[in-house]
Amino acid sequence: MITAERKPLPEIKESISPYKKILIVGCGTCVAECASGGEKEVALLASALRMDAKKEGRDIEVREITLDRQCVYEFIDQLTALVDQYDAILSLGCGAGVQAVAEVFPKIHIIPALNTTFLAQTKEAGLWLENCRGCGDCKLDYFADVCPITRCAKGLFNGPCGGSKGGNCEVDPETPCAWHLIVTRLEESGRLGKLAPVYPPANWSKKEGKGPRKIVREDQRH
Amino acid sequence: MTGASKGRPFFPRAMTTMEKELSFAIFFCQQLDPDQDVNRRILEKELGPRIRFFPLPCSGRIEALHLMRALEAGADKVYVVTCPIGACRYQEGNLRAKKRLEFAQKLVEEIGLEPERFELVNVASLGPTSVDAIARDLINREHKLAASPLNTKKDEKK
Repeated sequence: MITAERKPLPEIKESISPYKKILIVGCGTCVAECASGGEKEVALLASALRMDAKKEGRDIEVREITLDRQCVYEFIDQLTALVDQYDAILSLGCGAGVQAVAEVFPKIHIIPALNTTFLAQTKEAGLWLENCRGCGDCKLDYFADVCPITRCAKGLFNGPCGGSKGGNCEVDPETPCAWHLIVTRLEESGRLGKLAPVYPPANWSKKEGKGPRKIVREDQRH
Repeated sequence: MTGASKGRPFFPRAMTTMEKELSFAIFFCQQLDPDQDVNRRILEKELGPRIRFFPLPCSGRIEALHLMRALEAGADKVYVVTCPIGACRYQEGNLRAKKRLEFAQKLVEEIGLEPERFELVNVASLGPTSVDAIARDLINREHKLAASPLNTKKDEKK
């Protein structure tokens, strides 16, 4: 999933300062899972903004709504009947959600309230770990389902580097060494032979160099 | 402008004008007081709308949003009253309540309110366990707490 963190309140306040009627729009998918942009977080931010305005003697009208997915038109369409009543939309979606809403409603100011961070796994309650860079050329099968591009600080395809201590990374001693995990897991499952080849550098042209990427599936199109 | 702190002398029975105007929201673990339904009504009758009790099946049920909404609705002080440390029937409820309250404190600090507006109270294992007695003790400590700026703004507008 995509993780995000809420922007500091002063930054949000600055962005919405020209407006009095704000529609706060959350997203019930990834950012709800990482507790930054779901229904609860929308309510918390709305409450904070209302109290802040009251404390400063300003008038503000805040309405809350959370879409199932903020990056899909069919869900964004729920805002159609509402947007005209508000001066701005404060989005608690990821960057993809903010842009999708802005494309549907180009005349209204869509303000991001989150900083989108990374693709993650929910490791445990309240802990999200980056484990995918979306490189477009997945090699997880070679590396015991541990991505060395993302989880090795040095991004090594032919590790380990030799610097790990006690199974942890020398760059960040609190992070498990990806190559320690790879070797241990392959060893335990009798697949250590996967490491015999020397792997060539990643093909970054599948991720970068051609601008934004797109996926087209004719069978899914209207 | 500060909340309760240790070492403050016990507040005399007579209430000051300022204290009379303060409103309190008290979230509490129902496990503390089997007769809470009767006991809390004693204080509710006495203080009327100045006090609102919110029984929780366990203090671990509390969310930052509950605290924010209580403050927004007009409470000057919001308490979360939990079982003694180590005595939670569900193991970690009171520890989770502490984390949620600390998170809510950061949120109100962002809008320039005192974090002391939210306070976690771990009831002492040998102290009173009737919820009205606990609440009375807590309220009596708050003689120096100023009304929430949110409520004074409301009064100014009137």
